[in-house]
Amino acid sequence: MTSWAKPFTVDIPDSELTLLRDKLERARLPDELDDAGWDYGAPLGNMKRLVAHWKDTFDWRKAERAINQLPQFTTDIEVEGFGPLNIHFVHQKSSVENAIPLLFVHGWPGHFLEVRKLLPILTASTPDHPSFHVVAPSLPGFGFSEGPSERGFGGYQYAEVLNKLMLSLGYDEYVYQGGDMGHILGVHIVNKYGHKHVKGWLSNMPVHLVRYRVPSVFFNPLLCLELLTAPFNKRLWNDLDAARQFSKGRGYFVVQATTPQTIGYSLADSPVGLLAWIYEKLHKAVDNYQWTDDEVIEWISIYWFSRAGPAANVRIYYELTGGNKHGMFEGTKWTSVPFGISLFPKEPVRVPKSWAHMIGNVVFESEHEAGGHFAATEQPEALAGDLRKMFGKGGPAYGVVRGKDGYA
Amino acid sequence: MATNAEVPFKLSVPDSDIDLLHKKLDLTRFPDELENAAWNYGAPLSDIQRLFEHWKTKFDWRRAEAEINKLPMFTRDIEVEGHGTLNIHYVHQKSEVQHAIPLLFVHGWPGDFLEVRKILPFLTKKSTDYPSFHVVALSLPGFGFSEAPKKPGFAGRQYAEVFNKLMLSLGYEEYVYQGGDWGHLLGLHAVTHYGHQHIKAWHTNMAVCRRPAFLSHPLVFLSMLTIPFNKSVKADLEHSMVWRRSGQGYFAIQSTKPQTLGYGLADSPVGLLAWIYEKLVSWTDAYPWTDDEGKPDFARSQSTMLTRSSVIEWISVYWFSRAGPAASTRIYYEMTGGGKHDTFEGTKWTSVPVGVSYFPKELVRLPKSWSYTLGNLVFESEHDKGGHFAAFETPEKLAGDLRRMYGMGGPAHGVISGKPGYDEA
Repeated sequence: MTSWAKPFTVDIPDSELTLLRDKLERARLPDELDDAGWDYGAPLGNMKRLVAHWKDTFDWRKAERAINQLPQFTTDIEVEGFGPLNIHFVHQKSSVENAIPLLFVHGWPGHFLEVRKLLPILTASTPDHPSFHVVAPSLPGFGFSEGPSERGFGGYQYAEVLNKLMLSLGYDEYVYQGGDMGHILGVHIVNKYGHKHVKGWLSNMPVHLVRYRVPSVFFNPLLCLELLTAPFNKRLWNDLDAARQFSKGRGYFVVQATTPQTIGYSLADSPVGLLAWIYEKLHKAVDNYQWTDDEVIEWISIYWFSRAGPAANVRIYYELTGGNKHGMFEGTKWTSVPFGISLFPKEPVRVPKSWAHMIGNVVFESEHEAGGHFAATEQPEALAGDLRKMFGKGGPAYGVVRGKDGYA
Repeated sequence: MATNAEVPFKLSVPDSDIDLLHKKLDLTRFPDELENAAWNYGAPLSDIQRLFEHWKTKFDWRRAEAEINKLPMFTRDIEVEGHGTLNIHYVHQKSEVQHAIPLLFVHGWPGDFLEVRKILPFLTKKSTDYPSFHVVALSLPGFGFSEAPKKPGFAGRQYAEVFNKLMLSLGYEEYVYQGGDWGHLLGLHAVTHYGHQHIKAWHTNMAVCRRPAFLSHPLVFLSMLTIPFNKSVKADLEHSMVWRRSGQGYFAIQSTKPQTLGYGLADSPVGLLAWIYEKLVSWTDAYPWTDDEGKPDFARSQSTMLTRSSVIEWISVYWFSRAGPAASTRIYYEMTGGGKHDTFEGTKWTSVPVGVSYFPKELVRLPKSWSYTLGNLVFESEHDKGGHFAAFETPEKLAGDLRRMYGMGGPAHGVISGKPGYDEA
């Protein structure tokens, strides 16, 4: 079974910092085409600036001290067929005793620190909004969690880890929030533990593509009728286009789903290579969010210093698709667990919002004017606000967790 | 055409570049690996670590460099419309047969000009039994020791222009062409622009094309109807599906975000090694190998293609390339409009004679009837061994095919008047 959680502080050995600095000092950068902009990938000018910042200005120890302000722990979670994995997580309780237990799950290339800006809002004690006890783990293979050492660690294994983590903390019933992989794993977790343990969930990337198919005439007749209006419905047209792009499988997706080990050598050995690989996504997927250089470098550093190394996390794409042989939702079905969707206009991975009804019992829907893929970072008030509205008094999922409605 | 004179070329990588490489190798940080991963997730850790050890402690670049410098190499400036002047590196080996056939050999990715090395002696040999060739093998722009284009939009037409101007500058008004991988795809572009007038015939060892349409190739289209009943075609398509399902990652990233990928390739020797080595193994007929103890080893029984040294030399050419390793991946972007169209865009069917060699471990094997869409198909040859890097893996087979295609009695004999490949007896 699981052991008691141990307090955890991030403490990267000096030798790691030295190795990183030595590598940055010997960085060899590529050339670039004239006026390439972002067309071919992360621009050289930006990369040169970021590398210099990382080498000369960025203070990891200072960032580390700030991270360690968060209450972090590790605990061993046994996964059937895989042995125990040591899981790292943030656990911030609210002063409100009956706060709602909330599991916040990051994606790729995200990490546990994405919960940072949400914490003070969600755990605040106020009569106007529900309060939450927040648990934000590093997914296995990410951040400071151990990664699986065997093949086949798929969606339901991640779900098992996440559920057991909550149970080990005494949260027999809880709610869930995630985007990106956090959404995909959310679908898995409600399939396996919905109603019994997961009482409701909110996604900020509510996509669903079963074998990359569109709604079927037999199972989703209303959605099909809606598609006929597409030529006259600009929003729907844009969403369909986005869906097409998503299902095409972009470069990083295909590489990570088929040969994660091969790209892993670059990611593990070159801080510059790792920086480019992730920074491109940070830039592309946000709604005009002005990343500071410190923010970017801190983000990449979590990956660089991760416990399992930067090559481990990309394997999630392989394991969730069987090596790109099937979609990520394989083996999941529609569930009636109360489901909420937060829609941010610049989320690049989206489908027509009505398709969320193919995932679950949509009881809450919120559309925002601003924000992109990294909602918790870009629009923390909006995302936290959605959780408060969905689970608060008068909200469609109020009181889903017995005895813990979020109020004093 | 404002080309400068030919300049003899000797490869001489600066000491500082070699030092930097070794400093980086010393700082290498390896990833972990899943148990029993084998080749399922990509290049295996044990393979990469063994190669890394060899690179760090045994491989002698200066010795490899000296061997490369035994090849007759040159550079010259080639003007490309809209792209200024590019300094192009090439091997030019003449045959002692005065009326030898001028042949342009074009490599692909992750190939390089050195792929011509093993077939050079075969092709330039003088004999009454088979034809001889004057061989030109360039480094594609952005590869090996050629300069890279500086502006976006350097695609099929531009590569064809480089090829043609290079051959013309060497006095070869008429020539034949051989290529696989990009060499094949660019061949389609080259004959589109310069077929008949300059390119009199060509040969490919990677016969890929668009699916024949009924209107353009009715007979070939109709022959597709027999596919469900044709066992060997079905087997070929199955084989091709492997590439389509699990081997396309490099294509997807290089055709859309080559710059992002390029940072890791430029900065990490081991990253570059893994990226290319994966293809050297999965695209060749060279795996698995075992040594005397039955353990996996690099010296293959039939061919010594993938020895540790040959792999490291191969990677080193990319590492020390003039434009750097990132530049070479851009060809995928430029030739597909950033992943928006296929690589055949801009080509058209010509009646230029074309010959095809089929190797069993080529990454994609389409129905052979489709080869008729490549041009005026005059020669076909099927082999039971060999893969994607034909000139490197099975040079005698590839050279043999060229000899038969162009030799006396062959279907492309005498395509270039005055240069039949033989001198008077």
